[in-house]
Amino acid sequence: MTRAILGRLLTAALLLTMLVALAGPWLPLPSPTERVGVPFEPASWSRPFGTDVLGRDALARTVHGGRTLVLQALAATALGSIVGLVVGTCAGLARGGPLKGVLRVVDGLAAVPPLLITLLIAAGRPGSDFAVLVAVTLVSLPFSVRVIGAATARLAGLAYVRTALARGDGRFAVIRHDVLPNIASEAWAEAGLRFIAATQLCATAGFLGLGAPAPAANWGRLVRENAVGAGAQPWPVLAPALLLVVLALGMTLTADRLTSPVRRPRNERNTAP
Amino acid sequence: MSNLPRRAFLGFGALTAAGVSGLLTACSSSSDGGGDDAGATLRAAFAGGGSSETLNYFVGPTALDFVRARLVHAPLGAIDAGQPDGVSYGILESIEISDDLTSYILRLRDSVTFTDGSPVTASDLLHSLRAPDELEGLPFTRLVGRSFDLASARKLDRRTLRLPTAQPIADGRLLLCQSMLVIKDGTTEFTPKTPSCGPFVIEAFEPGQQTVLRRNPDYFGDDVNLDEIHLLSIGDAEARVNALREGQADFVSGVSPFNARDLAKTRGLTVRAGEPPYVSNLRFEMNLSHAPFKDERVRRAFRLAVDRQAIVDTVYFGRAEIGNDVPALGFPSYDTGLEQRSYDPDEAKALLREAGHEGMSIELTAGPELTGMVETATLIVENLRAIGVKASLNELPAGQLFADYEAYQRLPFAAGYNPSAPFEANHTPGTFPDVDKLVATARSAPAESDREAASHKAQGLLWEKGNEIIPVFVPTVDAHTDKVSGVRSLQFPDLSAVELASA
Amino acid sequence: MIRFGLTRGVTAAAMMLLLSAVLFFSTEALPGDAAGVVAGADATESERAEIRKRLGLDEPAVARYVTWLGDALTGDLGRSSAAGRPVAEVLASRFGNSVVLVGLAVAGIAVLATTFGLVAGLRAGRLGDRLLSSMTVTLIALPEFLLATGLVVALAHQGGMFPAVSIFPPGDSPWQHPDMLVLPVTGLVLGGLGVATRLVRAAVVSVAESPAIEQARLDGESGVRLAWSYVLPAAAAPGIQGLAVMAAGLLGGSLVVETLFNYPGVGSELARAVTYRDAAMVQGLGLALAGSALLILFVGDLLAGLLNVRSRPASWRRAERGAP
Repeated sequence: MTRAILGRLLTAALLLTMLVALAGPWLPLPSPTERVGVPFEPASWSRPFGTDVLGRDALARTVHGGRTLVLQALAATALGSIVGLVVGTCAGLARGGPLKGVLRVVDGLAAVPPLLITLLIAAGRPGSDFAVLVAVTLVSLPFSVRVIGAATARLAGLAYVRTALARGDGRFAVIRHDVLPNIASEAWAEAGLRFIAATQLCATAGFLGLGAPAPAANWGRLVRENAVGAGAQPWPVLAPALLLVVLALGMTLTADRLTSPVRRPRNERNTAP
Repeated sequence: MSNLPRRAFLGFGALTAAGVSGLLTACSSSSDGGGDDAGATLRAAFAGGGSSETLNYFVGPTALDFVRARLVHAPLGAIDAGQPDGVSYGILESIEISDDLTSYILRLRDSVTFTDGSPVTASDLLHSLRAPDELEGLPFTRLVGRSFDLASARKLDRRTLRLPTAQPIADGRLLLCQSMLVIKDGTTEFTPKTPSCGPFVIEAFEPGQQTVLRRNPDYFGDDVNLDEIHLLSIGDAEARVNALREGQADFVSGVSPFNARDLAKTRGLTVRAGEPPYVSNLRFEMNLSHAPFKDERVRRAFRLAVDRQAIVDTVYFGRAEIGNDVPALGFPSYDTGLEQRSYDPDEAKALLREAGHEGMSIELTAGPELTGMVETATLIVENLRAIGVKASLNELPAGQLFADYEAYQRLPFAAGYNPSAPFEANHTPGTFPDVDKLVATARSAPAESDREAASHKAQGLLWEKGNEIIPVFVPTVDAHTDKVSGVRSLQFPDLSAVELASA
Repeated sequence: MIRFGLTRGVTAAAMMLLLSAVLFFSTEALPGDAAGVVAGADATESERAEIRKRLGLDEPAVARYVTWLGDALTGDLGRSSAAGRPVAEVLASRFGNSVVLVGLAVAGIAVLATTFGLVAGLRAGRLGDRLLSSMTVTLIALPEFLLATGLVVALAHQGGMFPAVSIFPPGDSPWQHPDMLVLPVTGLVLGGLGVATRLVRAAVVSVAESPAIEQARLDGESGVRLAWSYVLPAAAAPGIQGLAVMAAGLLGGSLVVETLFNYPGVGSELARAVTYRDAAMVQGLGLALAGSALLILFVGDLLAGLLNVRSRPASWRRAERGAP
């Protein structure tokens, strides 16, 4: 019971965080790049989070720091999921041949350390948010394909899918009518997990100074910028850190809820081949 | 069977316990240092350069490579404005200049030997001067080769060398003593065993991690007090400061401004900043091939728009010198008579309007190549916005500002910096012909007063119409425990004369 | 099983070839080159061209790839363009350090995740499980850089009992200084523990519902014994695969921890090489990392396969044939 309330609260917090991240730059706040005081001024009524390492309004910077990050993560997740669904379902239905090979290649891609990919791509196009987006998509893609492929392969063994295929239904028709509806929840949950991974990778890129250039604030970058003054003035670090955590926590629980109720019906249908 | 799992779990427990106690003993034994604690050991941390660190200081790209080399190989001298010659001598006894400024006589100290016992001779000195070119050293090591005709150098006797100049120059002493070190004739590779004649010898070297230096008992100088120096490579600035706080290092170089303020308040720690001329100039170059910057009024407007005091206060917490758009602060020829550029956004706005470039857009490119460069660039962008310029900042990750140098030179508005160096010898010609001519005179006029007049005139022109904004001069900020004394700020910190008070 | 191992081995080798090409040409595509970085700001044009020629940057890319691959097969990974050190030498000193760090972290994660996962999974839905699950979810939500920054900040202002910075005297291996490993390993363990615990718990929950465990319960087995002798063996296969994926990722991905604690591993060296356009170094280190990641995954797959064969031979063979 309490858990449900907690879960709901976190979902609400997630939505709020997303809202702040996306709509934040429209809020009537001081400019996030303008110097308004001395560095690391303590919190006050007019500046609830105090000032940052350069004497800029920490609240304004925090509020501005989420949009690119969330958009990057959303776009990377969407791209990764779409490609993951297409490739994953096709490969999952295939019985050997080149499509199974695709799965192997994808497995191999998963072996390349994500930070290596991000470093290489981001170093190739310094200061480009788009480069980070591409890198994050590439990193998350193998996992999407793997999970969707595995889920589809489980279905492919089931009687009704085999019947549909044997009936001569087109592969895409089978995917649309027989596969997708049954892996939808798994696909959503997978997308949720990818989104968390994507936000964290984007934030890490910001932390390492890879993505968006300086005055623009990415939550990861804010943590790095202001860590030096965390002992004296924790808010410029804590605020973006908390938002990152709420985003990930809320998303994890939401993804959890998507998966848990589904397990039972699937087990029922899971007749041995 | 039934006992197996429990035993297994107990086994795990025992293993963990052993691990923990192992850790604790390791802790206590490692904290009291190297063991044979006969004399003083200084542990000094620098940013280093990972595995790219090298003993070949001609190609070593990081400050640490040069700091290390300067402790191992004796320097010719050091720039020292307090001395009559403008330099203090190291392994050299004197540098005499001919009246027509076309030849220099370098004289070595008597009876100095390398670690292999051989004496240091004029041949070694000549090889040391030629090595940067022969070993394809980095440009900053080749400063001497550009101004002197090294091919025609002649040995006068065992310890005297006559060096003709390429064109007459008066500032050769500064060039020779800025960063030249003495190595043995024929040295082309550098290993810990390479003969040297500096205050310390290399005992162990692990690139990117640590260098252990031990005192050279045969060193000619008498101001060496340490027995060992451990040079630690710690890339991250925060990690360096933590190493100092936790007592893992006695001296750390390259402290960030905020940390400096914090550390200065910490008991038992001292923060020190280099003094002019040992400061780097942080410059913002307005590319003259970018149309609006062709107009002198736009350049002046940009210079007037910058709030220099705010940069010194917020970015450097007071640990920087205000710049006046002219390089080489602190060198004898620096023109202190020039009026300090004021902060005048209204005048700047008026100038822009007059030039017809009101509301122009500009992108400033910067990277974290020098302490505070990005932060200063951020403030300058804000300053420019305040006078109506649509300014934006393009911040590059570390190491990328100069990575594509052709592209860097094409940028309309870019940050950069020069380490401490005299103005005239480091002037890059090609932008303003009248300035170039004055600089040539400033280097070659026979009378000192003429040289100074020409130099001041050149600086005046640069102040008037130049295309660089030099808002601040940035010192290297170091921090050390109160036990440490005798650190000298040169271009890089010089640790050779450090003393450690016993606890 | 042997066939399975062979196919996986061949695939891994092919993958390796593909990755080497991707690595080589993606580093080729970096704008600018080492010449600009090495030369510095005050270099003249001819000095720049000379450095470029010395570094061999004026030959065509395909020719350089073939040469590089051939050399790499004989163990010669070229020289760093920064100071001319052989890449293989750097790799030898850094790779061992990384293996120690990641090995300890993975061991820590394995022990903790197994314990927590078993406790939570066998009590699914009860208080202990809920507490542990909340902890896991929180850990997952905390990016590694936050955890590590937290550790560093706490240290700087409280004064810790463990050294904040890893400083190994020349010639020493990290083994000889376990005190310096504590914080970097803790950072990595905290970063990976959440995901691993979740994975083990999920595996345990699904195993716990199986008829075999039901039977064991009915036979009166419970507690540690049930967990150790019945549940763990059955849940081990997915657990090992999960750990393999994690270890593979950590080997090159411990960059943040390495930077913050100054640990001399491969990750920070790789980041430096990318920043300074040190192509030979990026290629060499990247190749080694990708290779060892593939190797770890391959071994993980093999182990999991072996465990699966032992516990469910019939279904495994069916799956292996790929057809019902």
